[in-house]
Order: sequence, then C-alpha cells, then structure tokens
Amino acid sequence: MRIRVPIIVVAALAAAATVAACSPAPPKSAGGGSGSGTLTIATTTDVVNFNPLVGNSRTDDWVTDLMYPRLLTIDANGNKEPYLAKDFGYSNPTTGYYDIRDDMKWSDGQPVTAADVAYTINAILKDKPAGNTTYGQMSNVINATAPSATKVELHLSRPDSTVISEVGFWMNVVPQHVFAPHGSVATFPNNSNWVSAGPYKLVSAVKGQSYTLDRVTPYPFAPNNTPTLQKIVYRVYPDINSEILALKNGDVDLIGNSLPPAQVKSLQTAAGIKVQEAPGLGYEHMAFNMTKKPLDNLQVRQALADSVDYNAIRSVVLQGQAVTTGSSPIPPVLKDWVDPSLKEYTYDPNKAKQLLAQAGVSNLKLNMIYSLADPVSSQAATIIKDDEAKAGITINLEGQERNTYLANTASGNYDIYLGNFAIMDDPTTNMSLTYLPGGAINYSQVNDPALSSLITQAQATTDKATQKTLITQAATMVHNDVYDDVMYMQNLYFAYSDKYSGFVVKPSELLSLLDPQSLANVKTTG
Amino acid sequence: MSIGVLDSVTTESPTAARATWSAFRRNPLGMISMVVLALIVLVAIFAPLIVASPSGYGGEVLQAPSGAHLFGTDNLGRDVFAEVVWGTRISVLVAAASSALAIVIGVLVAMLGAYFPKADTVIGTVVDLCLSLPVLPLMILVTALAGTSVLTEILIIAFFSWPEVARVVRSQALSAVRLPYMDAARLTGGSSTWIIRKHLLPAVAPVVVVSVALTSSRAVLTAASLAFLGLGGVTNWSWGRILFEAEQSGAMSSAWWTTLFPSLAMLVLVVSATLISITYNDARNPRSRED
Amino acid sequence: MPPVVRFAVRRLGRAVLTLWFASTVTFLLLRLLPGNPALAVASPNMTVQARNILLHQYGLDQPLLTQYGKYLWQLLHGNLGISFTQQVPVSSVLMSRLPWTLLLTGSSLIVTVAVGIPLGVLAATRPHKVLDRLVQVFGVGVQSLFVPTVGIFLLFVFGLQLHWLPIGGAYTPGVYGGAWYVSVLSHLVLPCVSLMLVQLGSYVLTLRATLIDSLGEDYTVLANAKGLANRTVVWKHALRNALLPTTTLIGLQLGYLVGGAVLTETVFAYPGIGRGIYEAVTQLDYPVLQGAFVLLAATVVVVNMLTDLAYGVLDPRVRTA
Repeated sequence: MRIRVPIIVVAALAAAATVAACSPAPPKSAGGGSGSGTLTIATTTDVVNFNPLVGNSRTDDWVTDLMYPRLLTIDANGNKEPYLAKDFGYSNPTTGYYDIRDDMKWSDGQPVTAADVAYTINAILKDKPAGNTTYGQMSNVINATAPSATKVELHLSRPDSTVISEVGFWMNVVPQHVFAPHGSVATFPNNSNWVSAGPYKLVSAVKGQSYTLDRVTPYPFAPNNTPTLQKIVYRVYPDINSEILALKNGDVDLIGNSLPPAQVKSLQTAAGIKVQEAPGLGYEHMAFNMTKKPLDNLQVRQALADSVDYNAIRSVVLQGQAVTTGSSPIPPVLKDWVDPSLKEYTYDPNKAKQLLAQAGVSNLKLNMIYSLADPVSSQAATIIKDDEAKAGITINLEGQERNTYLANTASGNYDIYLGNFAIMDDPTTNMSLTYLPGGAINYSQVNDPALSSLITQAQATTDKATQKTLITQAATMVHNDVYDDVMYMQNLYFAYSDKYSGFVVKPSELLSLLDPQSLANVKTTG
Repeated sequence: MSIGVLDSVTTESPTAARATWSAFRRNPLGMISMVVLALIVLVAIFAPLIVASPSGYGGEVLQAPSGAHLFGTDNLGRDVFAEVVWGTRISVLVAAASSALAIVIGVLVAMLGAYFPKADTVIGTVVDLCLSLPVLPLMILVTALAGTSVLTEILIIAFFSWPEVARVVRSQALSAVRLPYMDAARLTGGSSTWIIRKHLLPAVAPVVVVSVALTSSRAVLTAASLAFLGLGGVTNWSWGRILFEAEQSGAMSSAWWTTLFPSLAMLVLVVSATLISITYNDARNPRSRED
Repeated sequence: MPPVVRFAVRRLGRAVLTLWFASTVTFLLLRLLPGNPALAVASPNMTVQARNILLHQYGLDQPLLTQYGKYLWQLLHGNLGISFTQQVPVSSVLMSRLPWTLLLTGSSLIVTVAVGIPLGVLAATRPHKVLDRLVQVFGVGVQSLFVPTVGIFLLFVFGLQLHWLPIGGAYTPGVYGGAWYVSVLSHLVLPCVSLMLVQLGSYVLTLRATLIDSLGEDYTVLANAKGLANRTVVWKHALRNALLPTTTLIGLQLGYLVGGAVLTETVFAYPGIGRGIYEAVTQLDYPVLQGAFVLLAATVVVVNMLTDLAYGVLDPRVRTA
C-alpha cells in the first residue's frame, strides 16, 4: 500500500494549503455604535459587479444600495419620497433640480455633496456603463451642475417631466473622490476599499459565497444616527430549495428573493418563521407582436385576450397572491394613477371563436416566448396554452434560456411575448418605454400616432393633473385596442426569522424589506 | 460513469454466443433488469393508454401521494404520476437516440483508426484530447447558446459522448486487427470494407453492446442535469422537466414526492441498463462465468 | 536522447496540445454559436449603438482570426483577459473559486477511494455470492442517483432534522481561527458525501472486475500454492495490480469531476468553479468562460501527470522501462 499514502498525503496537503490561503483574517475593529447583532440574508444570485453604475444582478442592487444613496425612494403607495434629496422639482421647463441633505457623510469622512450627484450624472452620460438603468431615462439631459454644496441642477434639451423623479429613484450616487481617479465609471470594478454613505459598508466579499457589511455612522435615517445592527451578511444560495431549508435551519435570517407562490402557505405555518407581504410594483403581461399577421388585426388580439382565464392563473399559479389590473398597464398599487373604470378582459372562449371567424382567421398557430428563468411566467404559459386551445388557437410554447430569450426579444422574433415588468414606478416613463415606437421594451411593436402623441404630451407636462388625464386616456387606448394584455400584479411575500422585527415594508422585490431604511432599523427580538 | 466496466470487456469468438446467453440467463440480476427495461419501454410506448396527459390545474396543489394521485400533485395541481409516465417517452427517446448516434460516430471513428494505422495516431490523439475536455460544463455552454429542444439535446449529448465510445472500441479493435485471422483475410485479397464488415465489426460487437447500455444511461442523467439547470425543453414532459419545475417552485424543500418519483424512474432505468451490461460482460468472460 | 527525457518531452508536448485544444474549442464554440454578450450585459434601456460600442470594447467586432490570434498571444503570456461583467482580471475571478473546487473534489476523491477499495475487495473475493451481488447493485445504484435529489435529502435529514450539519456555503461568515477550520469541515461533509456517492460505483465495479481477473492470474495461483495466507494474497498481490486501473480511473474522472460538480455546488451553495462556469454562461462572459476551460484543462493535465507518477510507483514494468 505504498502508493495510496503518498497520493492521499499530497492531495490532503495541497487541499489544506489552498484552503488555508482562503482563511479570512479577523476584522480589526467593528463599526461605531453600541448595539450588536448580525442579520444574514440569503439570495439566489451572486454579486456580479460592485459598481452601482454598472450593476447586473438583483443582489448587486441590494448590496450597493446600502452604500450608495439614491436621491429618492418610494413609499408603500408607490409615491416618490425624499431620501438623499430633501426637495426636488423643476425651476423652469428645461431645468430640474434636487436640494440634497447636508447631514450624510461618506465613511471616509467626506460629506455627500451636490458635486457627487452632478459627477455621477455626468459620468453616466459620458461613459454609458453597460447595465445602467438610468442612462436610458436621461435622453433629454444635457448635463448636471452643482451651483452649491446642496443644490444639483439638470439641464434638459427639451421639457421632460419624468426625468427628475426617475433619475432620483433609479440612480445611486457615488463618491466623486473615489470614482473619478479611476477614469471611466464603465470599467471601474469598485471591488475593494469601499467607501459608503451608509447604513452599511462592505468589508469583505467572497465570490459565490458571502458578502459582509459593517455599520456606518452617522446615518440620518436610523435611530440616534446609528443603524441598529452591527453587521449585514448576504449569503448566496443558488438553489431556492436549499435557501428555504437554510432559513428553517437558522443558517440565514431572511430570504431576500420573493418566495415562490406555492411555498408561502407552508412557510407561514412554519415554526420560528414570519412571512411579510409587500406589494409588487410590476405586472405580468402578454404582448402580441403587431408586425406579424394576423396580430395586426384588433379582432384577433381581442380573441386571444378573451380566451385566457386570468382568474385561474391568479388562483393556481399565484395561489391567489395577485390582483387584477383591469387589463390596464397601470397597476393598482399606484393609487394616484389608477383608473378604476377599466375592467379585465372577460374570459369567453366562444366569443373568441366568433371574433376569429369575423376576422376571417382560422387554424391560428402562434409561438409564445418567455424566459425559463422566470418560474411564474413558465407556469402561466402552460395555462395560457391550454386556454387558447379551447378557442381553437394553437400556442407553441418556447420557454427559452436567458440569452436565447434576450436575443429573440431584441430582434422581435416571436408572435407573443410573455414576461414580467418588474418595477413600474412611473406610468409616464414606463408607457414611453412600452408603447412608443422604438421604445426599449415595446414588445407588441405598437406604433399608433394617437397613442404616441398622448404619451409624449404627458412626458412634456409638469402639471400632474394634466399628466394624469393624458395617461388615463393612453391606458384606455392600450386596453381597448389590446396593445398589451396585462394579466395581473403579483403580491410578493418574504420570509424571515421571528428573531427579528422592525422591517419597513416597501413595494417591489428591489426594495421590499431590504431597502436601506428598513435594514437600518431592524431589531433583534430573541 | 462506469468507464471501468467497459475496460474489462474481452474478445469473444462467435461460437461462444450460446454459452454467453446461457450464462446470462442464470444470473437473476441480468434477467430482472431485462424485464424492468422492457417494462419501461412499454410504458413509454403506451403512455396514452396508461394515464391521460398531465394537465388540468386545480386547487389541489402539492398534495401528498394518495389513492387519487398515486405520486401526489405538483405545484400547479397536476398529477405527478401522469408526468412521470409521459416523461418516460422523451427521457427514453433522448437516451436511446443520443446513445445510438454516439455509438455510430464512436464506432466509425474507432474502426477507421484501427484499420488504417496511419490515421490512428491522429484519431487516437483527437479522441484523447476530446476526453480531456470537461464535458458537462461544455454541454451547458453549448445548450445555452444553441437553444433548447429535444433534437439539439440529443445532438449535444451524442456529440460529447462519442469519444468515450471511440476510446473503448478502438482499444478493442486494435487488439482484433492484430489477430492472425485478420492477416489471413487481408492476404486473401478481401476489400477493406469487406474485412471491416465481416471481421472487425463482429470482433468489437460485444464492446458496442456494453457501450449502448452505458452511454444511454449516462445520457438519461445528463439530460436531467441540463434540464435541472434550466437548459432542457419544456414543450414536452421529461423526467428532467419534472425535477426542474420542482426546483423552481421550491417544491423540493417541502414536497418530497415531486422529486422522489422522477428520480426513482431514472434510477430504475439506469440501474437496469447497467446491470444488463455487467451481467452480459460477466457471462461472456469465461473466467468470471459461474461454471 | 535518454528515455526519461524523451518521455518527459512527449508528456510536455501532450500537455501543451491539451491546453491548446481546450482553449480553441471554447473559443470557437463561443464565436460560432449564436449569442450576443452585449445583450446579456447591457440594460434593455441601452440603445443599439451603446451595445455596438460594447461589442467593440470586447473586441468582438474584429475578424475571427484576428480575435483568435490575439487570444492565443495573450494566453501565451498568461493573460486570461478581463471579465466582461465583473471588470476584473479573469485569473482573480477563477482563483477565488479554484481552492473550493480542489477541496471538494479532492476530498471526495479520497473518500471514494477509501470506501471503494474495501467494497471492491469484498465483492471480488466472493464472486457471484449474495454479498457480491449486493455490492454490485449498490455500486450501480449510487452512480445512478440524481445529485440534487440526494443533496436536498441530505440537507433535510442532517441539517434540518438532526441539526448535525449546516446548510449551504463553504463556511459560516464571521468565524475566524480554529473555529473557521471546523466550519469549513462541517460545510464540506454533505457535498463531499454526495459527490462520493455518484462516483463510488465506477470505482467499486472496476475494482471488482479487475480483482476477479487478477485473482485468477497465475502468480496469485502460485502464491496460493506457496501456502501464503489467503488474506495476504488478496491484499498484497492482487490488490496491487487492481490499483492500476483505479489510478487510470482517477485520471479519467477527475477532469469530469472538477467542472462536473455544477449540480452539487448549486444545491449545496458551494462556491466552486462549476457554478462559476454556469453563471458565466448565463452572463455570456466570454473571457471568464475561456479562462475557466483552460484552467480545467490544466487541472486535467496536472492530474494526468500525477497518475503517471503513481503508475511508475505502482507498476514495476513501467519503473524499470
């Protein structure tokens, strides 16, 4: 047995050496403040990039939101609320402004200033970081300036009523003195020596495994300017099942991702676990590609819309955890905008057959694409297929891997698009993306001058009442002409250990219980 | 991944076939496995006669197995038994088709190498290089780029399985061409194709039989692995799709029946196929035969 | 040229060829199959022009041969490029995961051999008896298991029910010093066991088959005739020969194993390279993928060299040659 020994010894030594190289060093000192405690949050996706201007995955947003403040946040009713910006608006039709707080500090002692905000905006415009959401919303922004330490001005090429609230909500402000020395923000990985404006700051990152953040003081949105917990740890669980087991087992305290609908009930009754509902801020929809015949025919689209039992989808796939939007693109969570007069398309396969006959269409075969990475869409798809079959329409399901799906949506290579619009925070902006010709997510490829005119007028006016009238008209048009088939808005559920309380609930998976203001106020109860 | 089983295959003279069969029959493991495998194929063929296609959604989601639902229900209230039965079709099809294709490619390549020594150095090197590639990650890559459908799945699995077949068949063929009767055949002036067909092919036939069982059972597990990672088709039911949907909906953590039954189906198929090949191999090998 | 040198040169040539092959196959697959990294990376709000700028930055708008030439040239200098999505050198992306992959696969290999050898001997010394059949069925059975199902089952039983072992990850964050090593070990047990189970079958079956063969060989018959105790015959002579194919098997399988542990790493949330590859595939991060496959090929090369060494020690014929 001479050989077995050396092989094993060599292997064991090699393994021990490589692992020892990964051994973490204990932290030098914890952040200020008195309270202790660690909240461990599970997430299914790894952090891809630490630069919030590049951001790719949901976890990127969660982690960087704790370090780089947004100017605005959203309350439970979907309204924009001050965060870093105390006040915001327009001083004239082509100049928008933010007045920012003067009490926020970067963790290296420098104050958070208007210059940081202006730098961030100008850097995005100049460097066009790949995954940046804000860039697409700044098409009318010429540049940003900082006339004083607390005032930021956006200079617009034409009136744009949405840019201030959209940039305010979507953009993370980064410290100029840290980012600027690295040149282009599009290629700066920001993967060490993090500087944070609070409530927490990354202190260690182990790819594929865990991300540890320490408390930052002063943080004005926490009691006594001090975030309540000493540490936040994100841990990566690629599989949702082991993630749930880890919560039950106490390895993690909170699951960051919204729960699969079928798991909500069993976790609500599980010992030691609490489940919190949060409103969704998006909707699930089917878009009929109007550049493909016969989908350009209104009767055919009506027939497709009338053959689906939306109630069944909500009660089976979503276990009743969803509400109708009245087949309108404005979800009910946006209470200031919703139009209650719009009613959902009625489920009526016979009427659908008649409509098809009137349109002179028979033996209709269509393909429907959706992303396999989206479980809710995948499940809804099978029900839609069966429902359409009852009206004599054959749907060929094409659940696709993410990249094939992206390529096909980008090239318009589908009859029906099924997917989830995750965050619908501003109806005007979202309608411009969804229904204007050339819009980034205009999946039905609609090009109706009357609709476009309504949306562009709404974008230009800063008067909210006028804007609402225009948007309501546009939504009615989308509803009546079946330019989009919005099926429901999902309510989200989040599970956490009952050893913690004090979470602030915000809409959407992006904010949910993980919003900085929420995590800065969590209390331990056990 | 029982590479080792393949390596110990020995050459068989045509007259030994009868002895092999009688030895095979005496091994209960092999016979039971034959019956089980036949049953699985029957289930695949006659699925529509056994149970209606899995559809119909209802309030009865994630119900444990009962009289009404033998294998319980999934997260949309569909009958898991029906899913497993219907899934047999695609799973067996993918396994059979991809292994058949892999065997054809592998045997062709191996025979060419064995018969034409000039080509053999190149072929041997290429086969070895292919074997050094990390197969599963490459399949993930190709599937993600090429898209998911039953046909691409079959092609991809076959494309990454043939080198293993070629390796074993080649070593078998190499020892066969060195046998005296091959020289005799060559001296009597037989054409290359004739010699390959008449002499070389029969000589490697036993290894091929064993390869069929092993590549197809590996294909079942590979297809399920790809499906589990979201890289399988969802147009038709397969065992992998049941597992994928159980994973996505979080049902694995709370409803054991959604994963146990499709996993068991795979286990039974793979075990019986492998046991047949082992029994066959033992039966052919006079030394390990039980007589 | 002395035989040793010739052997070394041939091995080295082979190693270079293997690395070249793996990198070229990956390079070509990524370029020739459909897929647009700019789409995967860019936000949908980005314009087509912005995406084209990205493709230009990535160098993907150049002719295939130019890209290939540049890629090989960089590779020769040990430069694996910069990750599209993480914007850090690929080597640092991979090196953060490699140790965990080596730990997981290495330990599972050791456990597999340690469990597989006694089982193989047990079966081979009692051919066609009940115990042999049981071992065979067990060997075949465990290698037919579907890893995620087994993984969740293990987590459920040993984690949630018995509270013996933690669920997910390579260690508990925030633990240092000696406790860290304990944490690493306790997180390693379950993924290691499930990887061990799925590869155990091949080892047991191979060992059994070769042992049955070598137990019948003349020299063991002779050894028996010399009156040596049966136990000694089995362990000393036959087993020594049977270890050769086992070593071959290690060489053949470790390559699969290192990248093929994707499912194990997924279920157990283990930060290995397989999972890294899967994530890079979903993000179409070409440089990371190219680097990962080169790294896996390098692992195969190293393991093959180690098995060659082991062969030399094991097989007297090779040693004297």
